Order: sequence, then structure tokens, then C-alpha cells
Amino acid sequence: MMEEKVHTTLTSTNCFHCGEPFVDEIIEFEEKEFCCQGCKNVYELLNDHELGNYYTCDVNPGISPSNQNFDYLNKPAFRDKLIQFSNQEVSKVSFNLPSIHCRSCLYLLENLHKLNAGIIKTQLNFGKKDLSIWFKEKEISLGDLASLLAKIGYEPLLSEESEGKEKKKRLSQQTQLFIKLGVAGFCAGNIMLFSFPEYLGIEDGNLKNLFGYLNLVLGSVALFYSGSDYFKNIWAHLKLKKMTIEMPILLGVLVGYSRSVYEILSHTGAGYMDSVSGLLFFLLVGKWFQQKSFDFLSFERKYTSYFPLVITKIIQGNEETAPLSEIQVGDRLRIRNAEIIPADAILMKGKSNMDYSFVTGESEWIPIQSGNLIYAGGKHHGEMIEIEVKKDLQQSHLTQLWEQQAFKDPSFKMENWENFANQVGVYFTIGLISLATIVAAYWMQVDPSKWQNSVVSILVIACPCALAISYPFALGHGVRWLSKFKFYIKDIQALERMAQVDTLVFDKTGTLTLAKSEAPKSHLQRELSEQELDLLYSLSVQSTHPLSRRLCAYTQSLGTRNLVKLAAFQEIPGKGLEAKWGNITLKLGSAKFLGIHDKAPQDFFSSESQLFIQIGEESLGFWDFPWENRDGLEYMLRKLQHQYDVYLVSGDKASHASSLKDWFSSDDHMKFECSPMEKMEFIRELQAKGKKVMMVGDGLNDAGALQQAHVGVAVSDDHLHFTPASEAILQGQSLSRLPEFLQFAHKGLNLIKMSFLLSLVYNAIGLSFAVQGNLSPLVAAILMPVNSISMLVIATWGMNLYGKQVKSKLKSYTMTYIAEENHILSPDIKRTLQRSIEY
Amino acid sequence: MEIMYLMIFLSLLMAIGFLIAFIWFVRTGQQDDLITPGMRILNDEKKTIN
Repeated sequence: MMEEKVHTTLTSTNCFHCGEPFVDEIIEFEEKEFCCQGCKNVYELLNDHELGNYYTCDVNPGISPSNQNFDYLNKPAFRDKLIQFSNQEVSKVSFNLPSIHCRSCLYLLENLHKLNAGIIKTQLNFGKKDLSIWFKEKEISLGDLASLLAKIGYEPLLSEESEGKEKKKRLSQQTQLFIKLGVAGFCAGNIMLFSFPEYLGIEDGNLKNLFGYLNLVLGSVALFYSGSDYFKNIWAHLKLKKMTIEMPILLGVLVGYSRSVYEILSHTGAGYMDSVSGLLFFLLVGKWFQQKSFDFLSFERKYTSYFPLVITKIIQGNEETAPLSEIQVGDRLRIRNAEIIPADAILMKGKSNMDYSFVTGESEWIPIQSGNLIYAGGKHHGEMIEIEVKKDLQQSHLTQLWEQQAFKDPSFKMENWENFANQVGVYFTIGLISLATIVAAYWMQVDPSKWQNSVVSILVIACPCALAISYPFALGHGVRWLSKFKFYIKDIQALERMAQVDTLVFDKTGTLTLAKSEAPKSHLQRELSEQELDLLYSLSVQSTHPLSRRLCAYTQSLGTRNLVKLAAFQEIPGKGLEAKWGNITLKLGSAKFLGIHDKAPQDFFSSESQLFIQIGEESLGFWDFPWENRDGLEYMLRKLQHQYDVYLVSGDKASHASSLKDWFSSDDHMKFECSPMEKMEFIRELQAKGKKVMMVGDGLNDAGALQQAHVGVAVSDDHLHFTPASEAILQGQSLSRLPEFLQFAHKGLNLIKMSFLLSLVYNAIGLSFAVQGNLSPLVAAILMPVNSISMLVIATWGMNLYGKQVKSKLKSYTMTYIAEENHILSPDIKRTLQRSIEY
Repeated sequence: MEIMYLMIFLSLLMAIGFLIAFIWFVRTGQQDDLITPGMRILNDEKKTIN
């Protein structure tokens, strides 16, 4: 029965609203089919309010609604934080809605006022996935507003970061840079215009002087307003006694500017104002270009982002909701199924199966009886429990990780790493200053009238602007290209560090293997009866092995299950389960365990995920639980081994990784049962050996390692907004393409080095004029922009070429992937894949 | 050649005008969202499901 459902296509067997395949029931309404009551309700609601257009913009645009209650937002503590503006009549609030994805969303969300009269106006920023709402608080409360959004499928993302202040500050910085860039462009363009008479050799004393003064004013504005950040930046570096690539640039600019001021005021020449302001303009273009940020992602998550915003306190027998920050030692909290424990506590009432995978990576649940200690970050499964808080949030077991140096010192990564541009900048400056000294000494001897002129020309013309321009452009393009492949990098420095990495460390659970359960593929010889399914359910429910849990969930999804009493239950670790039902033996586990080894496919890759069944003497075949290992893993790991040292660190037990073992070079490249702290320590040890490490992980348990590594890459599957702090966020489906991405980063860095060599050629030409002391402003005015522009063109053209190469590789890979019949792909994934090759 | 002075003055004035316009639109956030308006225009008003 399940088989049919899984293999179906997009058209008729999917929910009209959300496009998900039907699982249990189909609800028919007005000749449309829906997967759940929620989706139907949304449809009804929209149709009643003449918003049916929603369904015409895109195919199955909806998202399954959620019934989360947002009443707590009405408390002043939350309301005051979220409301941006409020008077008697109108209030304004902004919500982040991660599920926004198509034009239909825009249509619906900007017509919200039709759903509720209390809403005056809504405005969506699609790129940021932010919805601003102006509403009347008297008619609809903030909590009801959030609930309404959740009800139509757009659950607002609320976290500690929801306050708007920090964001606004950064935004205004961007605006400022943009204005500076505009002003610099204005000045540079006009100065070039006013320098024309000079270029053409027009001799008109008055006009020349007027143009000179105009240039002086414009050049001063360009340098002291547009270039003000450079002064600040270099001053900060000087205080730290550190060298940057910007130093020789600013030196050249300042010398050129002073010389021009002198020449213009003394009427002795036109100076280099055009070159100076042009250079500033190009530098700012580069700076602006590298500022591209992914507004919808956050690279700075702390542990609190994972925790619920509110907790349920029990005060004198009554439930009360309170913000997370108000937890105190001794508080009694009520925790419901699938909620996260907010602080180290003692279980007072009830029983729990605690899932610490979030914190430790260990994928088995741990049963906990009342009276025992539980740790913050664990996810509770089971009945409602009551806990008593034992430690403050800041002192709990989990948060100790954030007390480490890597978290406390933001410049930690910079200290252990020098970027190429700054490294070269040091040599460049030393070389430049010695050349200027030698030339000055020479002219002092030969012709003292020329030494000033030649030194100034040398400093102006020999500017490493190529690095300052090709570096942000090449890497900025790189970041942009990779974002198209669902690999989001925080900034260009992170991309450069990625190119220097020589060691890769992977986490297991959630990164290489997927905890997500998909419907298994059946290789059974016959259909199972309801009773047999009950038996399997009763058997698997007793085990905490991930595969058993998936089978358990799967049998439940096929219908209501009855627990059957089994005797002589036995779990043989790493092999399987065994029990007796009456005098019939039930066996569940690997082929080896069941003694039917030769019948199993030889492919060891999938053997871990195959669950064989034997009832009595009859071998029924097996279920293949796909996606246990992330797809394309073998390809990726084998390819990476050629160039990199590849390690595995996992919080899980070694027995859960047998299928991975063949892909790591030796046993000492795999480390199991690591605590988050040990993972971090492991990275530190590698770094102490001089390795440049890239950590690829997903959960909070990797947070320390991600922070410690040269580059931390957080892998995320469906919720791009739920990743620990890192330098890059990689969407799960793109993980297998990591070798291509790393190669791409490599090529980018090589491109920069090549353009640097080219700019040295330009410099050599300019210098050959300069050392002779006869660099005319015209030569400088031509050479410098040509240098800058060619750097810009090479960086853009080269990176686009490399990007297209990666794209075509990915495309061919995706095509064959979709074509392969034996992959069970849910329509949703198929759609995503198809979309992914369309960009 | 006297006309040159007037022309230079006017051209500079025009350029400054554009610069002010540029600063004004950046400050009022007109280039903040370049995606949504393009999509908004595609949505028709009022239509029910066929």
C-alpha cells in the first residue's frame, strides 16, 4: 500500500494546498484533495476571503499549518521587545517567516488585511523573508496575529535575536558605505573631466587654475569623506602594530594627495588628483562588493537560539509562562513531549526518554527515571514531566562550551591565520620603501632636483591596488556563486580560509547520516498482515536503536498498532532483536544475524540500513531504510581523500558507523563517543600539529569544534535558520558536492595570485617611468585605472567561468540522480532538485 | 572663453543635483528591497479559483 503512495507523481495524489503526498487520509472538499484538516481549513479560509488567487501563482504553494499558540507574546516582556512602533491607533511589528518561498506567499501575505479587519497593511521583504505588519492592537493582539500567521502556514520565527536594534545598526553602515561610494564616484568623474585641459595640453592660465582649485576641493572630499574608513582602519592596525595591504595604498594616496595640493597651490602643475580619487573609487567599489550578506541567515547563533522562548513554570500548583531568562534555581518547570530541557535539572515527576543527540551526538535515547539529573539541551520524549532546576542556564553542562577561549575572543581566528593580501602587503611595502630610498639616494648624487619628483611618483604608481581590488571581487563573486549552490559563506575571508584548508573533520549524526526518517523501500516477499505488523511494532518498540525506532514509526504510520506481549526479548548490539511470541521466534536485524548472508545484496553501503525480518522459520525479506547515509557520501569521501586528510568525530558509538568505516583511511581517523568538549579538543590537537582544519557539523554538539576550526561549516537540512555559529552554512543536499566547492575556492585564490602577478607587470611599467623622475600625470592617469579595471574584469570573468564549470558539473549529477529509478524521492525533494538545476 | 565659466558652473550644479538625489534615495531606503516590487506587479487583484 505504501509502495504506491511513494512512487506517485506530483499531480493527483498530493495535497492541493501544500503538495505533500498523502499519508493517512485524504480529505475531499470542493473536488480538491487535502492531506490534513489544517490544509483544508486554510483553503476554506482563503477561498471565503476571495484569496483563491493564492493557488494560481504557483503549484501547491501552501505549507502545512501549525497550531502553535503564541499567547505568550501578549505579555509585556515580549510585546515591548517586538513592537517597533505604537500609538493609540496603530502598532507596527516585523516577523521573520522562514517558510516564505514563492509568489503566492507574497500574494497572500500582502492581502492579510482581508483575513482580519484589525490588520491595516502588510509589507513583505521577500529577500529577507520579513513581513512588516501595521495593525490595530485593540482589535487583534500580537499573540493572535502570530497565531493567525501560523494558522495559514507561516509560523513566525521568534528567537532571542528577534529584537530589531542590532540589525538596524548594520544596515545603516551599509547605507553609509554606499553613499561614500557614490560621492567618491562623483568626485573621481568630475576630477577627470576637469583634468582634460591638462591631458590635451590646453594652455590657459586662468582656466587651469580654476580647474586646479575645483580638483583640490573634490579630491579633498573624496579622500577625507569617502576614504575616512581607511584612516580609521589603519590607525587601528597601527595601534596593534600590524601590517595590512591597505597601508601602502594609503601611503601612496596620501603622498599623491599632498604633492597635488602643493602643485595646485603653487601653480606648478596639475598633480595626481585624478589618479588618487579614481583609485579610492575602485577601492570602495571592491569594499562594497564584498559586503554582500545573507540577510535571511544568521552565522552567530548561540545556544539560547535553540531553546524555547518561553517555559512553563509551576507556581503553587498553577501553570505560568515566563521568558527563558527568568529561570531560577529551584524553579519547577513543566516539560511536554518533544520540548527541550532549558537548564540542568532533576526529574521530579514522570518518566522520560531523553534525546541528547542535540548535545552529544549520541543517537540513542536514554531512559530516565524520576530523581535523576537531566542536562540542558536534551529533548524530552514521553509523557509530561516536571523538573526542578538545579543550575542557572549560564552554568549548565551544555553552556560550559561557550566559556572556552574560542567563543570569548572574537579575534581568535584571525590571530592564527594571515590572509594572502596582508602577507604580500608586508613584502610589498618593504620592497617599495627600499626602492624609493635607493632611487632617492641615486638622484641626490646625480641630480638633486629630481629626487622629490621620482620618490613621489614611485609611491603613487606602485600601489598594490590589484590585490585590494581583485581580492574582494574574486572572492565576492565566489561567495555569490556558492550561494547559488546552497552553500552560504559568511564573508570573503572565510572563503579564502577555505582554500587553505588541508584537513577535513566530519561529524556523523546529522551530517553524514540523516536522522530524518523516510518511508522505507520494501523488499518483502509478500504483504504483511495486520497482525504481523503488530508483532514487528511490539518488537521494535522495545529497542532504542535508530533503525528500530524508524521501523516502529513506520509500522505506526500504516495504521493503528496494538501492543502484543512478547517473551524472551533480547537485543544483540550491532546485530538485531529477537523475541518469542508463543512458540514462534521473531527475528529482526542484519542479514548476518538472520543467517541469510548470501541472499543480501553485496553492496555494503546500504547493508547498515537494511532490516531483515524472520517470523518463525519464514524469511520475509527486508526493508531498506534509505537516507540513512546521506546520498553521494561515498563519492564525496573518496574524492576528498585524494587531497585532504579526512577525519570523523562522532558522539555516537562506533557500532553505529560500520558502513562508514570503509571510507576513512584508517581507524585512527575515526573518533567515537566524543563529548562536545572532546571534539573541540580534537580540532585543537590537529591545529597544534600545524593542520588547517575545516569542521563540518550540524548540531549544538559540534558548536565548539565549529568555532575552533579554521573554517566551521554547519550542515542544515530543512531549517536554514537553525544552525550553530559558523563561517558557512551548507544545505544538506549539497554536502556531497563539497569537493567541487573546495576546488572552486582554490581556483579563486589562484586567480587572485595570477592577477597580482599581472599587476606587478603594470607596476613595472609605471616604475620604469617613475625611477627616472619623469612620470607625467597623463601616464599615471592612464596606467592606474587600466590596472584597476583589468583586475576587476579578470576577477569577474574568471570567477564566473569557474562558477559555470561547477554548475554544469552539478547539473549533470542532478540529472542522472533524478533519472535513476531506484531512488525513492518524495515529490517534495524531486521538486527541490528540479528547481535546483533551473537556476 | 567666458562662457566656459558659466558652463562649468552649470555642469557642476547638475552633477551635484544628481549626487543629492542619489544620497536621498539611499538614505530613504529605496534600494533596500529590489526583489519584492518586481514580484508584486505580477499579482492580479481579485480572482476566484476556477
